[in-house]
Amino acid sequence: MTEKAADVPKKIRHRMNRRQFVQTIVSLGIAGTVVSFLSLLMSLLPSAGAGEEEGQVDNVFKYGPDKGTWYSDKSGTDVKLEDFDQVGKGAGVLWRGRYPAIVIRVDESKLQGATATNGLIALAASCTHLCCIATWHLDRPNEDVLFCRCHDGAFDPYNIVKDVMLNGAEYTGAKVIAGPPPRAAPIIPIEITDGKVAGVASDLGLYDFCG
Amino acid sequence: MERSQELPATSDSTISVGESVMSSRTKRLYDWFDKRINISPLIAEAQRSINFALPSTHTRQNRSKIFWFGYPFYYAGSILAFLAILQGITGLLLAFHYVPSAVGDPGTPTQAYTSVQNIMRSVPLGALIRGIHQWGANLLVAALVIHAFWAFFRSPYRVGREISWVLGALSLGLALAYSFSGYLLPWDQLGYWAATISVQIMRSIPVLGDLIAQILLGGTTLSPVTLVRMYFYHVSLLPVVAIVLVGAHIGLVMLQGVSEPEEVWKPEKTGQASGQKQAGPLFGPFLPQQITPVLILSLITLGIVILLGAYAVQMPGDPANRFLTPQFIAPEWYFLWAYGLLKWVGWVYEVVRFVPPATVFGIDLLSAKVIGILVAAGMFLVLVLMPVIDRGDEVRVLRRPLKTAIGVWAIGLLSTLTLYALNEILSSYLSIPIDTMNPLLGSIVIVVPLAVAVPFYVILRRHAAKASAKASAKGA
Repeated sequence: MTEKAADVPKKIRHRMNRRQFVQTIVSLGIAGTVVSFLSLLMSLLPSAGAGEEEGQVDNVFKYGPDKGTWYSDKSGTDVKLEDFDQVGKGAGVLWRGRYPAIVIRVDESKLQGATATNGLIALAASCTHLCCIATWHLDRPNEDVLFCRCHDGAFDPYNIVKDVMLNGAEYTGAKVIAGPPPRAAPIIPIEITDGKVAGVASDLGLYDFCG
Repeated sequence: MERSQELPATSDSTISVGESVMSSRTKRLYDWFDKRINISPLIAEAQRSINFALPSTHTRQNRSKIFWFGYPFYYAGSILAFLAILQGITGLLLAFHYVPSAVGDPGTPTQAYTSVQNIMRSVPLGALIRGIHQWGANLLVAALVIHAFWAFFRSPYRVGREISWVLGALSLGLALAYSFSGYLLPWDQLGYWAATISVQIMRSIPVLGDLIAQILLGGTTLSPVTLVRMYFYHVSLLPVVAIVLVGAHIGLVMLQGVSEPEEVWKPEKTGQASGQKQAGPLFGPFLPQQITPVLILSLITLGIVILLGAYAVQMPGDPANRFLTPQFIAPEWYFLWAYGLLKWVGWVYEVVRFVPPATVFGIDLLSAKVIGILVAAGMFLVLVLMPVIDRGDEVRVLRRPLKTAIGVWAIGLLSTLTLYALNEILSSYLSIPIDTMNPLLGSIVIVVPLAVAVPFYVILRRHAAKASAKASAKGA
């Protein structure tokens, strides 16, 4: 097996001998195989189509699961305009089965930057900070703010301002007045049909920042 | 390493593969195996290594001085190892009964949730096993914190233990990954929301956040997919990593010996001490002398864990509901400082009326969460890279004013941030309004660590100056 330099004809000036050639080929082959196997890590990415909505989705808000509130026993039922009989009354609701929101009856004369629909406004309740669900009058009964329990963030529903979502989309929402949330809580336009309160699904990407 | 030379060679020559202790039947069985797979050399090597006195011990020089004060710290590492084994055993038993499925409507019990309930209620001794696993994890982190700070102050990486140090620092990350994945498994409200917050924090890692979340968790929010992945990490991937990392970490202790007190490292003292004193009775060969205190402490730890597990086990809370954040939400105690940091940065912004710009370079660079990530990642990086950052050969705690003061400051900061994380709970418990509580705790975070660290620095500096003056006087 030993190679003698004398055996190799001098005019063939190989830069590598046969052993080195095989070593190189084998190493490259192993490296290539390992690298190509890395592409299998693609399978760890979420599969396309997972989590997409199917069929017709109801735009009407449904009362949320908060306990110990005036709407606790209505949980899961349609949100009705007549339930919001006084200024300041608000409820945690679910929109399209996946977006938590807050519907509030506001004092329209104090509302800045937006107009209410029949006295109501709706705001996405997933905190723009870390996606905890903000509440209305539950943790801070005396303050008219959307309050986030996780890191004490607060949004002012009377002060609707322009903001930019992380994906660059411009929108309007309730201004951050306390805590760490980086941007306003997006407003959900409302329409009222047959006394039921529904959200207008225009740009769902705005509410998907937690999904 | 020079110090290993000064030790008397321990019983290398006297090892013969146990002919005297084996009965003839055992001997025949042994021979049967030995003929086929030639195990004699392996056995001899194993015997040699367990009879091998670890290269050096701290008690040889300062037995009386360090005995009561030092031991709990020196042995935090072995308690850690014991608890890790205990976690392995109890985890294995729990894995027989746990079902990693989170399919179901929000707020209703999923299979994961009911299987944990089942472990608690109907599996024989299930509650005890889960209790031990739960408390074992907590004590493990506690021992890890002690072990890490002890090592930090004593700067072992300055005397040839850099590899050990880096492996240990990485194991710290490993333990946190274990606890993060384990906390989510019951799929209850507390675990769900603690994980949600962590995931959203992970997502705000500049540029790569969403990709990391998608690869690690199968999406940018928690879903049944996430639970399966967490379960896989917890029971399959992390154990392999742990065996490699921690195995190497402990293996290095076997090779390099138990880290010695600083005096031994002063060359003038090493010369004087060598060969004069014999290893004390606690520090002869690894088996049985060195392992004895480890076993005693392990049994005490086992007793504590069993007691806690039997009487203080936590039932899972309400089933996870992604539409309802529980009123009081807090991560486990060892993540509280990070939670407090997020809240505290928010409070500081409020006080100085700073509104972070929505995006800088397309990311929330100045938002509290990104600041939090950068601080935490920076701290971890500094910890891993200590051998590179902190060079020199002085390892004595009292002779290194700046480093010791920084360590004290870090302890102060972590504790006060932990306190800040509990602001809501403290305010309702002490009935101090939150608007008074926040400024109070917020300023404590700034003041207390400095108030402790600065005097420390001043006093130690004076001490170090005096000591070096004395040394140079002696030298002259």
